[in-house]
Order: sequence, then structure tokens, then C-alpha cells
Amino acid sequence: MHRFDRRAFIKTLAVSSASILTVSNARAAASKARVVVVGGGYGGATAAKYLRVLDPGIEVTLIERETLYTSCPLSNEVISGERDIRTLQVGYKGLLKRGVKVVHDEVTSIDPARKTVATAGGKSFGYDALVLSPGVDFNYGAVAGLTRELSDSRLPHAWKAGPQTLLLKQQLAAMPDGGVFIIAVPKGPFRCPPGPYERAAQVAMHCKQHGKNKAKVLILDANDSFSKKPLFEQAWKELYGYGQGGMIEWVPGANDGKVERVDPASLTCYTGFGEYKGDVVNIIPPHQAGKVAKDLGLATFKNLWCEVRPENMESTSQKDVFVIGDACVGGELATNNGFPKSAHMAISQAKAVVAALVARFNGLPAPVPVYTNTCYSVVGHDWGFSVVHLYRVENGQWVYIKAGSGISPVTLGTPPRPVPRLYRRLEAKYADGWLRNVLADAYA
Amino acid sequence: MRKGVMAVAMFWLAGSAAAVENIELLARTCNNCHGLDGVSVGATMPSIGGLPRAYLSKIMKEWKYDKRSAATMNRIVKGFSDDEIDALAAYFAGKRWQPVPQKSNVVARGRALITENCEDCHGITGGDPDIDAPRLNGQWAEYMALELEKYRDEDFVMPHRKMKKAGRQLKPDDLQPVTGYFGAQNK
Repeated sequence: MHRFDRRAFIKTLAVSSASILTVSNARAAASKARVVVVGGGYGGATAAKYLRVLDPGIEVTLIERETLYTSCPLSNEVISGERDIRTLQVGYKGLLKRGVKVVHDEVTSIDPARKTVATAGGKSFGYDALVLSPGVDFNYGAVAGLTRELSDSRLPHAWKAGPQTLLLKQQLAAMPDGGVFIIAVPKGPFRCPPGPYERAAQVAMHCKQHGKNKAKVLILDANDSFSKKPLFEQAWKELYGYGQGGMIEWVPGANDGKVERVDPASLTCYTGFGEYKGDVVNIIPPHQAGKVAKDLGLATFKNLWCEVRPENMESTSQKDVFVIGDACVGGELATNNGFPKSAHMAISQAKAVVAALVARFNGLPAPVPVYTNTCYSVVGHDWGFSVVHLYRVENGQWVYIKAGSGISPVTLGTPPRPVPRLYRRLEAKYADGWLRNVLADAYA
Repeated sequence: MRKGVMAVAMFWLAGSAAAVENIELLARTCNNCHGLDGVSVGATMPSIGGLPRAYLSKIMKEWKYDKRSAATMNRIVKGFSDDEIDALAAYFAGKRWQPVPQKSNVVARGRALITENCEDCHGITGGDPDIDAPRLNGQWAEYMALELEKYRDEDFVMPHRKMKKAGRQLKPDDLQPVTGYFGAQNK
């Protein structure tokens, strides 16, 4: 049971932060700067909150369409029935208590010259700095036969947690024994690199638990490898059967795994030369930087993602506009270890922007940020693992610090012996603790 | 690999004011899992704000130099210099310890076990520990139970002889009462 201890949690809110970079401002009436944050996911919420925590003299407006946020991380556990979706949901009261002006509206246009943001509700907000955390938008047309309407009904992607997550959960619950659950993975980079593979494990777990031992989970992948691959393959093999005769099968791009077309009526996925009929078809469409950032012309990386400056996440195309979260790219690092698109990264990036802005508005020297990522995957009861990333900024460039990064061990020692089950159990447990803390870090 | 760490070490020679400023930035990345000011909201992630400086520094260095096993933390701290580790330890030690009491229904049994196995080093509430021991009053019970599992597991390398001994003296169904009792304590 994943029960959130509200009483205990509320008691922790009576904490104030005092630090060298915290600036108290007795004259609350005159704000020293106005920051508008667009997007109330992990990135935007963290940015809004930490601006207020570090400098209450800064006026912060957060514009977010929805009144409730559903965490995408760990939403795969909702699909399998392991987790109640309410444990992933949070509102904006916490940010309001921090003095953030939360506006539930949709941004229609941004004027970077006049530094104003206009909304569908007819409001206009001026800014000294604009932080965009718009998430991703899906390119439905990239898979022939797929539409937004179908994603909201028959073919949910559930790659933005919420109603589609529950739809997919229902579809899985109704799937009979012997049924085929297809997951179509787009060409990277995409949001949550290990997500589709964790989903496969969670679906397999559901099937095993409900006596659907002849069910199959088929991953049709546009890519030839994936995040934490040896860890997933090890777990799939051990827990569900993988490969020939196993419950989980993975078809890489090199073996014609990329789905080009879908027929919603027959639930058939078509690759270059193949045809795969499913009982549940979960197509994760290719995606790109959220509309708000794209419309502003900031998605200069392959016309899909927003490029930003390493020292402060400022857009390379537009001064005083900062892009964080899934919408941005952390450069093409020589080791091909660009920023993963994760909640933890979004929070990390938000903190970097905040540090830069607080310093700027207080005439302090610009700080040098550190970016960290920790990403847990839960593949079975008491079986989890993680990847961590550490990035520094040196000479205006991101540097991937290999020493402080990497995946959980696949084996231990030389000669290699199996990793004791306690390690896997710990990481499954830590995933839950991580979730509670990141939700609070961003929203409380 | 070494180069990255060396380059970082150079940063900290750039003046203590800059070093303190930058440790704030690094410490804030810890908040993601450990909470603002190191006050975790549970239940498997520990609060770390207000723990002893020497304890925090020791544990992180044991992880870094493979003297102590970890599931996740050992990877992270290997990317920090020893100076950064010391600065982080000082930073979090300077925060206030905020117990988050959680209800427990095996209080009596927990207390009895603690008197026998834990009180000498941690105090009966866990709030009055020996100088190198961490506070346990109002720490997350589930986190503490997982820590005990580590001390009890033959395959998990843990350097603390007394904790291994005490941890292994307990029976499997002693873990909940012991950690539940400490977790239920307030200031």
C-alpha cells in the first residue's frame, strides 16, 4: 500500500530556509523583479517555488492549464494496478502558500520584445525573466493512422500521466489471457528513457499476478538500444521470461521494430515489413518541445528541442527566456550522454535557473550550477534499479562526470556474481521515497 | 574519470566565499530526495538535516571508497571531491533536526528491545545519541528498517562492527517494533 502520511507531511512544511543565497526582503510591496513561469510540471513548479524560497522579493507568476498535476514517474505502477493514481497527484496550494501567483490558464502568445505573455483567458503578464517548462507535444502524424482523438480513447499513449493512464490500466485489466500488449517506442531522444521498458515489466507483472500466463508483451522499438538495458533484460528474464518463449519480447529498430502505421479498427501495427496484431496497443508517438517553446522559435535542435546555455538554461535563441525540463536539450556531449528527459533533471535544471536569476536580481556573481539525475525503475515486487547522472559546467560547456554517474550493478565483483536481492529490494523501496520527496520538493 | 574530479577540486581553491556559495547549489540537488533543509517527507528516504557532521562525512566517504555498500548513493558521491563531501556534511549538519513522528502500535515491545540493544549508543528516544551516532527520533521508520536489513545481510558490506552485531542480534520481527518506536519519537 502506498499511503501518503499527510499529517506527518504537513508538519514538515513549517520549515524555512536560510542560506547565503537567501535574501530576505522586508519591503514585500515593491517587488525587485517579475518572473513568469509557464508550465506547472516538475520543472515549472520547482522553479516557481525555489524563486520564492530564496528571494521573497521576486514576484513569481506560474501559468498552468490544469489544477491538478499527475506525476508521470511511477505512473506505470498505476497501469499495472500496483499503485493508486492519487499517490501521484498534487495540487497547487503549496505554491500558493509560498506566495506564487498561480494562474490556471493557457498561454496563447509570447512577445519577447515587449516581454509579455498573453493567455487564452485574456490576461497579459509582463516579465523580467521568463521560464518555460512546457513539457512535450506529441507528433501524432508521425505514425500513420494515429490521431490525438485516438490517443484519448482507443490508443492511449499514457506518456503524459492522467486520464490516459487510467484508460490504459482499464485496457490491460480487460485483456484476456493469451492477449498481446504492444508497446511502440519512438526514436530517441524521448521523455523518460527507461519508461517503456519499465512499463513492459509492470504489464508482465500484472499478467502474472492475474493468471494471464500466456499473455505477451511485445516492444516494437524504433531504437537499437535503451536505458539500463542489461538491468531490464536481467530482470525480465528472471521474473517474466524474455526472448524466445518468454512473456516479454523486444524488437529493435535494426530488426524492423519501428512502427510506421496503425490500424485502429483491427489494432494492428505495421512496421517496414512486419504486421503485429495486438489486444492492447500502446503507441508512444514521437514528440518534441512543447508548443509554447516551439512557437517562439526556440526549438533549434533538429527543429524539435530547445538549445540552452549550460550556465543558466537560458535559450540560445532568446535573451531572458529560459527553457527547462523535457523541452530542452543538454547539448550533444562527446560521450553521447546528453541530458535524459526526466523529472529529476527538470528539478535540477529549475534549481540552476533559480540560482542564476536570484544572483542576477541581487547583483551577485553568477553561480556555476551542478546538474544531477536519479531515475528509478520498478520492474517487480522488491525489484528496482536506477541510473544516476552528474554534470558539471566547465568553460561554459557541460561535462558529464562519469565517476558520479552510472547504472545499478548488473553483477558484483570479479568473477561476476549475482547482485544480492537486497539491492533490488532497496531500490524498489527507494523509488517510492524518491517520489514522495520530489513531489514535495516541487510542490510543497 | 579522475580528470573530472580533479577539475572540480580546483574550483574549491577559488576562495571560501565562492565555495560556500557553490555548496548551496550542490546541496540543493540533494533536496530532490532528502527534502528542503534535509527534511524528508518519507518514508524510505532519510532526513539528513541536523545529523552530525562527522557522521555524514564518514558515511559519504565510506561509500565513495567502497568501504560501505549502497544501492544508489555510492555512485553519486563518487562524483564529489572529498572537500565537497566535507562541505555538504557541514551544510546539512548545520540544519535543524526535524523529527516527523509516525504512529506505531508496538511501542512497548520496541522500547524493551531498544533498552537491550540500542540505548547505549542512541539513547532511549534516539534523540540523545553518542557523539558519532545519528539521531533516530522521528526519523523515517521504514528507512531505518531498511538500514537494519543492510547491517544484517551477509552480502552487503557494512563497516560498523557494533551496528552489525546489534542488528544481527535482533530477530526478523523485531525490526518493526524497534524502528517504529524510534520513528514515533518527537523532539
